[in-house]
Amino acid sequence: MSSMMSFKKITVSALGLLLVSGALASPVCADGRLTVSSPQDPGSWDPVDTFLINWASVGTNLFDGLTYRGPDMKLVPALATSWDVLDDGTRIRFKLRQGVTFHDGEPFDAEAVKFTFDRLLGEEGAKGPQQSNYTAIERVEVIDDNTVDFHLRAPDPVLLTKLAGYGAMIVPPQYIKEHGETYFNTHPVGTGPFQFVSYEPKVGIKLKAYQGFWGDGPKLSELDYRFISEPSTAVAELQSGGVDVVIPPTIPIAMIPTIEEDDNLDLVTTSGPTVYALRFNTAEGITADERVRKALIIAVDRRSIVDGILGGQAQVIASFQGERSFGFDPDMQPLPYDPDKAKQLLEEAGVSPGAQVQIDIRGNDATFTEVTQAISAYLSMVGITASIHPVETNTLLNDIIPQGKTGAMFQQSWGGWTFDFDNTAYAMYHSGQKWNPYDSDPKMDELLESQRSLTDPAERERILQQIAHYAADRALEMPLYSLNAIYGVNKRVKHFVPAPDNRMRLNDVEVE
Amino acid sequence: MAFAAPPRLRRFASLEFVLGFLLLGGVVFCVVFSAWLFAPPGQISLSTRLLMPFQDAAHLFGTDALGRDVLARVAVGGWISLKVGFLSVMGSVVFGVVMGLVSGYYRGIWDMIVMRCADIQLALPFILLAITFVAILGGSLTNTITLLIVSQWVQYARLVRGSVLTLREREFILSARAIGVKNGAIILRHILPNLMGPVVVLMTLNVANNILLESSLTFLGLGIDPTIPSWGGMLAEGRTYLQTAWWISVFPGLAILCTVLGLNLLGDWLRDLLDPTGRTNR
Repeated sequence: MSSMMSFKKITVSALGLLLVSGALASPVCADGRLTVSSPQDPGSWDPVDTFLINWASVGTNLFDGLTYRGPDMKLVPALATSWDVLDDGTRIRFKLRQGVTFHDGEPFDAEAVKFTFDRLLGEEGAKGPQQSNYTAIERVEVIDDNTVDFHLRAPDPVLLTKLAGYGAMIVPPQYIKEHGETYFNTHPVGTGPFQFVSYEPKVGIKLKAYQGFWGDGPKLSELDYRFISEPSTAVAELQSGGVDVVIPPTIPIAMIPTIEEDDNLDLVTTSGPTVYALRFNTAEGITADERVRKALIIAVDRRSIVDGILGGQAQVIASFQGERSFGFDPDMQPLPYDPDKAKQLLEEAGVSPGAQVQIDIRGNDATFTEVTQAISAYLSMVGITASIHPVETNTLLNDIIPQGKTGAMFQQSWGGWTFDFDNTAYAMYHSGQKWNPYDSDPKMDELLESQRSLTDPAERERILQQIAHYAADRALEMPLYSLNAIYGVNKRVKHFVPAPDNRMRLNDVEVE
Repeated sequence: MAFAAPPRLRRFASLEFVLGFLLLGGVVFCVVFSAWLFAPPGQISLSTRLLMPFQDAAHLFGTDALGRDVLARVAVGGWISLKVGFLSVMGSVVFGVVMGLVSGYYRGIWDMIVMRCADIQLALPFILLAITFVAILGGSLTNTITLLIVSQWVQYARLVRGSVLTLREREFILSARAIGVKNGAIILRHILPNLMGPVVVLMTLNVANNILLESSLTFLGLGIDPTIPSWGGMLAEGRTYLQTAWWISVFPGLAILCTVLGLNLLGDWLRDLLDPTGRTNR
């Protein structure tokens, strides 16, 4: 009997709550719950603590940066309403948006911006992986309540983009001082369209609409994320209605037909930041010869691999970047598949049929393992015997590649949310970089360094394209493909726009 | 018994033996003679990917994600899987049983040394051991088998030692010793036959386990070149295709099932046969 009573009480009080919240609701009509399946739990929601893209798929709804870049890749004002680049690019003045409050009621002002960047560039930021992306900032100066100056050590052409995400998200000073850093990790507060409700490690995080949001208010009342790492579980939940959206990187290519065949589901894809290549050992072995490298590239029918194994969910690339990357040259075409010319080039280079090459790949990447097997089959048709050597991912990334202990070819998957080719090219081609154990080319180094201090985007883009062409002329890698970001979405979800980089802001999304 | 077979033959007339022999024998036969029975696994051909089974005589079990014939790959892949399964179990049984007998029978310093080694071995997580192996020796089939032996001999050693400890105090051992039978003969003729039952059961379980472990090792990079087929590897490859192309993983799975079921039945039969007390005979 007593359990009956308490049940009644709960219902009554819940009803009361509903009434109250209904009465208090702002004119924005927030309604409905969206459940998202995310493959990983970042463990901490503090923006300075993470580089995981699935931090961003939640964080983008909780926090704002000074700038914002949505799925259309255009940089627009967010917490800053305008900015001026001064002193040859070493000072940027931001005008801040007025009347913005954090989820805890604290006002957003210049002090919050200064606190955020002092924290990011100071002791707390040094503990996380984000600080190194923002080292161009020397200090932030408060001019008045709504104006800040960023003083830079050197011009950073990508900085405005970097202010739109991750470590540059504005955090509430009073709240953090009051509750401490550890509490903030699991109880995040920002200025974004959704505010934090609860977080259960390894299970999920729940958000609700923030009525005081400065922009177009969220149309959902609740936003739940569940952490489901196993692809078949996530897809089964999507089919049964347990989740409404499955975000990348979850859905393997092999499961695409399952979603396409389901009448209640949509497959939504967009070209993503991640590019794949097999890079060459240019220092020794047969791949030290440029002709051999070119021969290996044209011996592989990359188009058929993309259409066959990847179900068309990728684009063949000509340089080590996707079509959204700054520095991408739309006129640059991938080398055509030409096994006869490959044989001829190999003969010229004095490589006899039956020559061995070893391809080192990440052991846990099932799709790429299939791709590599197809590549090995293509290579065998021009008389090259390729053996595939799967290596534990961390060993490959932290030992075998940096130490220059790879076979003739090795897997490199790369992608940065800033979509700026400098991020890729500098790490791949500049002498002495961790990811470049074999090559050292003064001309390449000069090109790479020359664009870093440029503030003129057009000139910088031209040099980045020149770098891409030069790397392709020297055949430094076998560029393979840029993989799409694949979302599975229930048809009851409206206005969902897939974000190429998982930084999805869901304030326009509605559910039926 | 309806027919009066001589006792020696009757041993083979049990259902367990017949079924087990047919299953395991069939699989081993197909694998050993795969080169003559089936077309070679063939080249990758992206135009014939994911063909359904039983539609095309050339690809009776269908084709996989890269257009290779599943039937041929199951047959050829058996080589690696059976090799890994059997050799690793044989290796750990021989080593583990010898160690267990020595430490359980002679006790004292031998017991100390062997059991402390076993404790150290058990304290090392398998994954850690596997990664260390990769770093030092690199990945190959031999290394995979060695790793499995190193990590599994302890199971047998502890099992055997436990049985020996109780057996060596039993009357028939004491009397054998009292009439002057040498230690070696006691171990071989009186102790070993009495403890083979549980060892055989553990063996049959581990063969299946190791066939699957071989494939999970590829994730750590200790495995073998993915172009060389193996049952475990095929299962792992087919996992993401389970909803769209079940045949990629179902057929190698069936092959493992037949092998393991056959082995278990034969193991049961062998245990009954080996049991010197005759208690389990029907």
